[in-house]
Amino acid sequence: MEDAPTMAAWVTPGREQTAAGEEGFRQLYEATSRPLWGYLHHATGRPHVADDLLQETYCKFLLHPIPKMDEAQTRSYLFRIATNLLHNRSRSRDDAACEEPADSGMETDEAARLDVREAMRQLKPRERQLLWLAYVEGMSHAEIAAVTGLGAMSIRILLYRARQKASRILRPQRTEP
Amino acid sequence: MKKTGCEHEEVVLRAMHTGEWTDALRRHAAQCPDCSQALELAEALRQQARRADRMCSPPDPYWILQRARRQARELTLRRVGRLLAAMRILAAVYAVAVAAWLLRGYAALQYREVASALPGTSSGYALLGAAVAAAFAIAGLWPILRQDTRRAEPGRIRPAHAAHQPPGA
Repeated sequence: MEDAPTMAAWVTPGREQTAAGEEGFRQLYEATSRPLWGYLHHATGRPHVADDLLQETYCKFLLHPIPKMDEAQTRSYLFRIATNLLHNRSRSRDDAACEEPADSGMETDEAARLDVREAMRQLKPRERQLLWLAYVEGMSHAEIAAVTGLGAMSIRILLYRARQKASRILRPQRTEP
Repeated sequence: MKKTGCEHEEVVLRAMHTGEWTDALRRHAAQCPDCSQALELAEALRQQARRADRMCSPPDPYWILQRARRQARELTLRRVGRLLAAMRILAAVYAVAVAAWLLRGYAALQYREVASALPGTSSGYALLGAAVAAAFAIAGLWPILRQDTRRAEPGRIRPAHAAHQPPGA
């Protein structure tokens, strides 16, 4: 993956530089688009919205590149842009209803799948984002704080509450006294 | 179970993500209710992520680059437009100030004394000069005003998406 300045060369007039920038961007896109789409899809529950937000995320990334970022920082920056877009979207419209897409994959444990979906549907968008970033993307609390703009100290507590809530929905008989 | 969760949860999750488990960590994860609950949920979410990955078909990066370029152009145009608008406001303020200054000067002018001192042809030249200046001012303003009128007509605005249709669409 190339640095942001090289990728930002797509805006420069030189043909060689633009080609290098495009190639850098393609590599970055290949490496990050799928996890980012998964995150957006999980947060919104709508594939077409995830598609739109994915494109918008990369457009914003290309328009406002930050120089001297390594691979992890670039990934974190992309997730931050995506989180901000999700936040703007939830502020601008009622996104509480979480449509679930038609899934054509072969399912071995349909009940468990529906359980997870149902649990996620009942969580707040911020809770869904925190759980995904920590448990699927494997981000540290500091990284999650950087992505979400929340305080690093509060991530642990918020994550704990979100997990408790999700577990209560998933396994009510275990957690209820 | 603590109200803030286990302090090792972050390390356990990282180990799950990277696969770098130590024996002590594995023992802790098996015994700690917080960590085992976190691992259970993480596994369920990761399964969901794998399913989502099968559904994912991200668009070609070429279209994203095109869209970003279009946005960059629009951003540049907006910036230049703001600069031009500021310059026009400044020009208008300047014109008003000059007009006020000229009117003040004209009011203070002893017209009769000046007119009697000037021969008849000089008055004619002065009038002609004023007419030419006015003609130039109108000629300069005409395209700007015409452009504004065009912009204001809704039928003339081309929809943004029409200009960027993919080939064959």
